[in-house]
Amino acid sequence: MQIERLLPRLFLILLLAVLALAGWQWRDGAPLSANLMELVPGTSPDPLELRAEQRMQEPLNREMLVLVGHTDRQQAIALAKQLGEQWQASGLFEKVQWNLQADLPALRTQLLQGRLAMLPAADRAQLLNDPQAFVQQRVQSLFDPFTGFSLVPSQDDWLGLTGRIQNGMPQHGAVQPDIGSGALIADADGKSWVLLRARTQGNAFDMQLPLHVADLLSAARQQAAQANGQLLAASGLLYAADGQRQASREITWVGGGATVGILLLLLLAFRRWRVLLAFVPVLVGMLFGAVTCVAFFGHMHVMTLVLGSSLIGVAVDYPLHYLSKSWSLKPWRSWPALRLTLPGLSLSLATSCIGYLALAWTPFPALTQIAVFSAAGLVGAYLTAVCLLPALLNNTELRPAQWPLDLAERMLACREALLRRVNTPILLALLLMFCAAGLWQLTTKNDIRQWVSAPAALTDEARTIARITGFQPTSQFFLVRGKDQQQLLERQAALTQRLDPLVGLEELKGYLSLNQLATSAAEQSAVREALGQLAKHWQPLINVGVPAAALQAELTQLQALPPQDISAVLAGPLGEPWRTLWLGETEDGVAGLVSLQGLNDPALLRLQAQDLPGVQLVDRLGQLNSVFAATQISAAELKLLSCVLIVLLLVAPFGFGGALRIVALPLLAALCSLASLGWLGQPLTLFSLFGLLLVTAISVDYAILMREQIGGAAVSLLGTLLAAVTTWLSFGLLAVSGTPAISNFGLSVSLGLAFSFMLAPWAASRRKPESEVAS
Amino acid sequence: MLARSQTCATRSYASPTSWLLQKKISAFYLLALLCLSPLAHAFDLQQLSDQLAKPVVVRGDFIQEKHLRALPQPLISKGHFVLAKEFGLLWLLSSPLKQDYRISPAGIARRDAANGWQLLPNKSAGAEQNRLFLAVLQGDSSGLQRDFDLQLKGDAKAWQLTLTPRSMLLQQVFKQINIDGGQLVQRIELLETQGDSTLLKMIDSQSVPALSDAERKDFAD
Repeated sequence: MQIERLLPRLFLILLLAVLALAGWQWRDGAPLSANLMELVPGTSPDPLELRAEQRMQEPLNREMLVLVGHTDRQQAIALAKQLGEQWQASGLFEKVQWNLQADLPALRTQLLQGRLAMLPAADRAQLLNDPQAFVQQRVQSLFDPFTGFSLVPSQDDWLGLTGRIQNGMPQHGAVQPDIGSGALIADADGKSWVLLRARTQGNAFDMQLPLHVADLLSAARQQAAQANGQLLAASGLLYAADGQRQASREITWVGGGATVGILLLLLLAFRRWRVLLAFVPVLVGMLFGAVTCVAFFGHMHVMTLVLGSSLIGVAVDYPLHYLSKSWSLKPWRSWPALRLTLPGLSLSLATSCIGYLALAWTPFPALTQIAVFSAAGLVGAYLTAVCLLPALLNNTELRPAQWPLDLAERMLACREALLRRVNTPILLALLLMFCAAGLWQLTTKNDIRQWVSAPAALTDEARTIARITGFQPTSQFFLVRGKDQQQLLERQAALTQRLDPLVGLEELKGYLSLNQLATSAAEQSAVREALGQLAKHWQPLINVGVPAAALQAELTQLQALPPQDISAVLAGPLGEPWRTLWLGETEDGVAGLVSLQGLNDPALLRLQAQDLPGVQLVDRLGQLNSVFAATQISAAELKLLSCVLIVLLLVAPFGFGGALRIVALPLLAALCSLASLGWLGQPLTLFSLFGLLLVTAISVDYAILMREQIGGAAVSLLGTLLAAVTTWLSFGLLAVSGTPAISNFGLSVSLGLAFSFMLAPWAASRRKPESEVAS
Repeated sequence: MLARSQTCATRSYASPTSWLLQKKISAFYLLALLCLSPLAHAFDLQQLSDQLAKPVVVRGDFIQEKHLRALPQPLISKGHFVLAKEFGLLWLLSSPLKQDYRISPAGIARRDAANGWQLLPNKSAGAEQNRLFLAVLQGDSSGLQRDFDLQLKGDAKAWQLTLTPRSMLLQQVFKQINIDGGQLVQRIELLETQGDSTLLKMIDSQSVPALSDAERKDFAD
């Protein structure tokens, strides 16, 4: 009696402490995160590679690209202008740009200063090898009315170096500036599309920002539609907003649906309002899970919350363990019922925790979080069910409805009838045939894209934008290292020499590389030297009227130009597109990136980097997908290992044979689920495998219930049924998730649960019918 | 995120400044278009455009003077031109060097001694000018009026058209463009903001009913 008073008090103290900790954790708002990158395995331990990845992804998470389209060009420009002004005023954006605001004096200065450092490779080669042709081309361009406008007046650049730099700039898609308004326009599908770029203050993983941006965009869409215009938008922010909305919708549906279903089930079965207190362990479990998760990881991911909400169904199993004994224990009292079921309850906690924690050993931070959340949540639910709930139900007498027990008895009768006709070995053989045929049809599929529910509308728009503008950034890029800038530029040049043929073959749309803009110190001095020799060849320029003195003065000026390093070249306005590509000083030298556009075949890229020292292809997507495949194997190993652990745990109470039987049934259930996936034409994904890993742990619980047979076979089956239905209510609902990974997980758990329930009665040993009579 | 980056087009587009560099604001080009342009602005502009739209083919000689601040003497070049309503413009430079150019809906081409007509690169950068060119050829003058203020003085036999850029962007490049003419365009003067100017004189321009065979061939190749 003493302990029955002490336990609830101790537990309440613990609960208060956890609540206080939770309050402290939430002091600055919800410690939630929506960054998908936190959930995928960190495949690169190399800090430089990590930095490069962050550098490449940063614009994705902060920038939005919008095309404002209208059949009338002027209307499109007017709409873009209006939108630009509104967004700038919204305060959400650091910068909204819809037209060129070129600073011509700064451009001229950079061109003049960079005449040695920025001269394109082809022009350098001509200057060095064929100075006569170099001069001849300059004479031609002086009289060519179509070479177009040069930013730097001829008198400041008689040799025409700045014009060559201007012409050497890489091509950029199909977007053209409108010379009147400065708007950037592409024409497609009978419309003029004005390009608008918006850069936000924060990034996509700031929880509120994506939603604000998405709202702003949909308001802008309506506004444009009223003027018969159309908006197309692409941004990581929009995916983040969509993901967040979807997550909160699914938490509501899965969590809410499971809660309502379980409460209804409890009421129908036990016909007492007080029995709803069985939900207290669930709430405490969620609290423990969240607090532990934040304590371990500093925050909790929304995906953990979605998957974690399915814990409701497992947590409610603990009180059900002893509540369901009310069908056999008459009169039912909470403490005695608990004492009777405590060993089974504890075993069940241990096996479930083993199952969940096995997930923690996969290299997926996502699953580690879910495992920690769930294990802590189960411990919380267990402690509540053991320490607090019996006290709350102390004076309650349960008189449950009769129909669930009738149902269970009918089920058992059916099973007996079946077994009389077909015996177990034949059933097993049939089942194995079903499994074999199903497994034969099973296909595997692993793709990071399953983690994202990319709504078709968003991806379609992004694709349309890529088509209209010609910008097709790829997720792959090259990381190039060198011991100094000289070596870096040489290595990039070696790489781009291999990329050029790909561009020619249209396997690649284009690339950006530092060596397009900047040349090494050695090359700069070669140019300086070649210019020194040019006086011998420049007679044609003098012949057409260029004063020799002016040429000589320019030459002196050129010779005096100081060498420019990469940072100096990037600092000017021309350097803008390349700035993200320069990583600067590293531990062992310098590093830079080469970004790519419009790639057809990623396999070709791997070849390009081969035997080029210091050049590395970074293909996170490809890498992740292969990690996925590799993890599938390690997940299977983990599953077997967790089974061994569970067997070891169960040997003491059930003996070796019993333990094996209890573990073999969930494994068989898992096999059946795999086969069903095959029959259903669903692919086996890493996530469905994780689901099965989990279901093994949960269904060991059912086998234990059926094995122990406290209160008789029918009561045990009823307990199992209640547990399975509640668990299914929460996991099964995950199957409706819009994220393929989550819905896969839900589907495989649902299947696993169904088979586990069907197979659980075989956990009982043959002699058990007698004990049924005894009860 | 990774999935996104495949479809999402937010990064690595060029900076505005490099676009500007790509963009060849070839003043002469605009003016060549104008010779054909049926301007539909006011009554007298309309008259002028009707007048300029009449000839099927115009041919003549030209003298181009580039006045650079740093040079006491302008850079002078001479040649022959053929402007065909249907096909475009041939610009045949003969002094101080020989070089042939052609503007057609396909873009700007330069004749290469070895390979014949070669389309100049940066075609996409010139796309807007080509669009403008064609728009003007088809009688849509909104393009020019959008970017310039047009002022017409004089009468059908001696007129002067002044173009002043409207936008900041163009104003950073051109101060003003003056076009003089009578039955045909006679003189185009381009004043750059930085102080240099280009003067184009069309001499002995003649309106003829059709292209010669050689000219036809030049447009066809």
